[in-house]
Amino acid sequence: MSEALTGSPVNPDAAVSVRGLRKVFGKFAAVDGIDFDVRRGEVFGFLGPNGSGKTTTIRMLTSSITPTSGTISVLGEDAVKHPDRAKLRLGYMSQKFSLFEDLTVDENLRFYGGVYDLTAEQFAERRAYVLRMAGLEGRESELTRNLSVGWRQRLALGTATLHSPEIVFLDEPTSGVDPTARRRFWDLLYDLASNGVTLFVTTHYMDEAANCSRLAFMYRGRIIADGPPREIRESLLTERILDVSTGDADRSLTWLESADGVHEAYLSGASVHAVVEAGLSPETLTARLVAAGFADARVVPVDPTLEDVFVNLVSQQRGA
Amino acid sequence: MNASLTRIGAIVVKEFKHLIRDPRILLAVLVTPIMQLLLFAYAISFDVRDLSTVVVDQDQTPASRTYLQSYTSSGFFKVVGSVDSVDAIDAVFQSSRARVAVVVPAGFQEAVDRGDKAQVAVYVDGGDPNSARIGQGYAVALNQVAGQKITATWAARQGLDLSQAGRLDVRVRTWYNPDRSSSIFLIPGLVVVIIMIVTVQQTAVTLVRERALGTQEQMTISPLRKVELMVGKLLPWTILAFVDVVLITLMGLTMFEVPLRGSVLVLAVSAALFIFASLGLGLIVSAISPTLETANLIAMMLAFLPAFLLSGFAFPLDSIPLPLQWLSYLFPARHMVDISRAVFLKGAGFAEVSGPLGMLAVYAVVVLALATVLYGKRAR
Ligand SMILES: Nc1ncnc2c1ncn2[C@@H]1O[C@H](COP(=O)(O)OP(=O)(O)OP(=O)(O)O)[C@@H](O)[C@H]1O
Ligand SMILES: [Mg+2]
Repeated sequence: MSEALTGSPVNPDAAVSVRGLRKVFGKFAAVDGIDFDVRRGEVFGFLGPNGSGKTTTIRMLTSSITPTSGTISVLGEDAVKHPDRAKLRLGYMSQKFSLFEDLTVDENLRFYGGVYDLTAEQFAERRAYVLRMAGLEGRESELTRNLSVGWRQRLALGTATLHSPEIVFLDEPTSGVDPTARRRFWDLLYDLASNGVTLFVTTHYMDEAANCSRLAFMYRGRIIADGPPREIRESLLTERILDVSTGDADRSLTWLESADGVHEAYLSGASVHAVVEAGLSPETLTARLVAAGFADARVVPVDPTLEDVFVNLVSQQRGA
Repeated sequence: MNASLTRIGAIVVKEFKHLIRDPRILLAVLVTPIMQLLLFAYAISFDVRDLSTVVVDQDQTPASRTYLQSYTSSGFFKVVGSVDSVDAIDAVFQSSRARVAVVVPAGFQEAVDRGDKAQVAVYVDGGDPNSARIGQGYAVALNQVAGQKITATWAARQGLDLSQAGRLDVRVRTWYNPDRSSSIFLIPGLVVVIIMIVTVQQTAVTLVRERALGTQEQMTISPLRKVELMVGKLLPWTILAFVDVVLITLMGLTMFEVPLRGSVLVLAVSAALFIFASLGLGLIVSAISPTLETANLIAMMLAFLPAFLLSGFAFPLDSIPLPLQWLSYLFPARHMVDISRAVFLKGAGFAEVSGPLGMLAVYAVVVLALATVLYGKRAR
């Protein structure tokens, strides 16, 4: 898909359209020529390991830094030439919690209400909405510092959407948040999406990626795959994923890594996932494992998860 | 997007909230200056009180003895002995037995009896300029000598007269500092030094802190403009700095009996320009420093050193090396010290201080513009 976009002009009708985007720090290309479109109303998942360039990309999209080269259109405005034009229409929740911790919930909201020049009526309405949405009603005068991570993230989302933006960029909004709170957070994101807000979300969590309508995988500054989650999963159909559970995951991992017919092996929960050539059946592998001393080895074929896809994509890149 | 009062107001309110939440800052800004004032003012006058002194009585009359006795009783000087001749003073200074020598020449009594100007010479050891103690005493001596009718006789050294402290009726008038209290001379300068330290130090960290917290990025992507942010950041500090000016001035007027001979308006206008210039310096530091530590360090060097050494508040500027004198013009403190002293002690108006006032105005504009430009540059 990205090949098709390369060299074409940006699409002003898209929520975000990026062509040939690069950002070089010194000699190091943190973002190394990427192309993608985010359609309006889409929940766009932006994935990639640490340091792959996700945050750098978002910072260019929000015009907080300028690209080394390339073009960006956000909501139809040129984000490089006219960084101010889309400002009122976009929201940003940064990777780092960036509300004022020594201010109260209400004071933080009030500050951004002022910064976005909301009228008194607009502010009152949005404030009530945000407090309700974040579940912070009655805790308006609590210091932000004293909120637990889940509440903070919801407040940050509320603040980022206080001015009713058309698109919100969220940089790992759920890192460090417990699963229940993550669930709640995604419910809020769905609410926003159902109101037509475009969401651009980076995440490390594969289960969250499955919630997105479209995904792009970043690796070392490049997008190595993109498309709807299902399509990406299916792209791996030439290979087969086997779930291997033995008494000793670490030892079986070592064995699998050097076993014939196994392309890739990695820990997945308490078991090991092996990416094997299509001809290697679970029965054959079980027999070989038992012969190697893993008496209680159990091998079952599994549908590739996005994590499987991702690990596989990365290993292909490494091999290339 | 035009500059918006709502946006500036939002910043101002937020800055004040930070202040309320962090009592350390309020303490640093409102209590520390008072402590500094008390410390400096008392420490400095205490120093002057203890100056070791020898006397040379060439008149040997009741009048001369009474006069010299007044040194002992003045409290400023500690008379450690007497020598026979002016030539012997050199040896005393070299051996550091005394820092000051008072010479009453023959004919003193006659002159007093006739009601003439009685001549007295006071020598101050200038050979130890690094010693703050002597430096300060020296500054006081210099000041006190200005406008005196008693003439100093030894050109290479400076004369000092203290006859008024005794019971002698010699007509002596010191213009700027008639009761010879060093605090009176120092406090108008001290106000400047304290303001400079408070403003530069506090604003130096403000932008760096927002950058470290990530709140700056959140503001960068908002419609907030650089100028609005700068103005919003400056206003609260301007107000606080003014509170400091008023506080220190009031303390000076009441506790140290510093006169305010000039107009409050001249003082206020100059103080405003000086405060803007200092805040601008702080913002520049904040805009270019990568870390809080760097910001603190640069602020220290930029505020403390020039404020203390190059402002002329304690050390007379014409006694420092020429390159340093030129350097002193690069910092706003020197101009403000000039203005402050002129207004407090000489009752100067706008016309008299127009020179340094103009410098301050130019300085403030340039520095603030530079801060705004540099702040934008950092984000790249
Ligand atoms: N201002 C900068 N100066 C120099 N290098 C930078 C700068 N910002 C980012 N980098 C480098 O660029 C690379 C990409 O960083 P980026 O923060 O975009 O990664 P990321 O995908 O967001 O990672 P993570 O998942 O850890 O947040 C990293 O190697 C990082 O060290
Ligand atoms: Mg990141």
